[in-house]
Amino acid sequence: MRLLERFRGKKPSQSEKNKKGNTNYAYSVTRVRAMKSKLLPKESYPRLLNMGIDEITRFIQESEYKNDVDELAMKYSGGDLAEHALNRNLALTYDKLERITTGELNYLTTAYLKRYEIWNVKTLLRGKLYNAPIEDILEFLIASGQFTYTFLSELAAKPTYQEIIDALRRTEYYSLLQTFDGTNLAYIENELDKMYYASLFEAIGIPKSKDRKLFARFIRLEVDVKNLSNLFRLKKAGVEQSDEIMPLMIEGGLELRPEKLAHFPYGEFVNELQKTHYWDAISSVIDSDMTSLTSLESRLTRYYLESATTFAHASPISIIPVMDYIIHKHNEVTNLRIIFRGKESGLSDNLIKDQLVVI
Amino acid sequence: MAQDVKPTRSELIELKKKIKLSESGHKLLKMKRDGLILEFFKILNEARNVRSELDAAYLNAAEKINLASAVNGMVTVRSTAFTAKESPEIQLSGHNIMGVVVPKINSTGVRKSLTERGYGIIGTNSYIDETADAYEALVEKIITAAELETTMKRLLDEIEKTKRRVNALEFKVIPELIATMKYIRFTLEEMERETTSRLKKVKARMK
Repeated sequence: MRLLERFRGKKPSQSEKNKKGNTNYAYSVTRVRAMKSKLLPKESYPRLLNMGIDEITRFIQESEYKNDVDELAMKYSGGDLAEHALNRNLALTYDKLERITTGELNYLTTAYLKRYEIWNVKTLLRGKLYNAPIEDILEFLIASGQFTYTFLSELAAKPTYQEIIDALRRTEYYSLLQTFDGTNLAYIENELDKMYYASLFEAIGIPKSKDRKLFARFIRLEVDVKNLSNLFRLKKAGVEQSDEIMPLMIEGGLELRPEKLAHFPYGEFVNELQKTHYWDAISSVIDSDMTSLTSLESRLTRYYLESATTFAHASPISIIPVMDYIIHKHNEVTNLRIIFRGKESGLSDNLIKDQLVVI
Repeated sequence: MAQDVKPTRSELIELKKKIKLSESGHKLLKMKRDGLILEFFKILNEARNVRSELDAAYLNAAEKINLASAVNGMVTVRSTAFTAKESPEIQLSGHNIMGVVVPKINSTGVRKSLTERGYGIIGTNSYIDETADAYEALVEKIITAAELETTMKRLLDEIEKTKRRVNALEFKVIPELIATMKYIRFTLEEMERETTSRLKKVKARMK
């Protein structure tokens, strides 16, 4: 029954939301901490950088990813095998998190992991709109959140995007997806992302307890980091009109006020940023022409990860350690992928090293 | 060849006209060949620069897509690539360089702004933007290189054709016409001498 509800994207009821008494924080957080202790230590990365692709694959095979590599070894090889194994492991990890958490913790974790549902909906629409083969679409889907692999396979097999939208009629995405006319994909994607954060804030509600406040703060920080990065991208692309920028900003940020920053030209925009807490994290990579924003994004990711760890220390028995683990796990997968894909495609070690975010 | 012609005065006049025409044609074709070679070298330098820019653009685009795949995952990059909804449009027209029609390629919709690319801004990052930028620059370079290299190819074909014509005129047609003219002139002179001696003999008999 629960599975059926998850298929249909049914929201937990208000009473379910407030089941704090049913949440065994100590148990869940302890398990999450145990899982976090299995993440690769930062000393592993310099060693991995000195390895060849075969050695890296072997390293992955002998680590926490062993089962995933073994499972997929028949289907893929080389870099594709490693990448799919990492993705599979990530999906299973998130699934495990949903299983080991209960009550409010489970509710918030599930709400946080809805980003993968959004990802799946976007990928299905992209694939169908441009007639990608079903196998290709399936390869891109990550069975996590409320959509199981079977359900996603059924969606991918639908011949048109309209039928996919119809099949999602019981989900919260349906009203937005109804406005999709085949030409406004960028708008739909942006709105889905905004909808994710709106529903996350709705799930958090008006934070009263210390840990909920911290969680809200953590999500608002994430919103700031995303908005800041996107503001830089838009400024670099020469978009300076508030009415063009504001629809691309997520509401609910912590410190950043996009509505104030949107209309500034690049120089003044940077001057305004100096007044924020983010300036210390990014000041060393800001220059007047900003030909590339990748270093800036790495800095912001690092800042975000460090903040998550700080938040987790401030509230050790709460949702925050779970979030901290989720983003550190995601970062580990990203770092491993950067190393083996970078090595595979012949990128220089220095370039690979620059992209890694090691905390 | 020379022996196939009738050694007549009218043939000689006709041949002289042909030789004159061939010589002026030869001169014009030589001028055309030299002109085409000049044009070719002018384009060659440009094409060489564009080709090295194209190589650099390709390496840059390959690096960017590798970087984007490494950071975001192949899944994200390929899935985002599905959103590229509008293909660039190419208009082909021609223009004339010394009688050779070479292509002029105009393209629209290659460069797109961040908000026109079809993917959502919020869910992507600058690695994707930079990859799209690099590939747009690469497509532009490919179009320029295609135009220049096709022009070069057509010019080379025309130079080769003109060179063959010039050589044919210089070493085959004109020498043969001159030889025929010499043959006719010699034959006519011979016939004249024969007629003179015949007339002398007839005159002697009549005495």
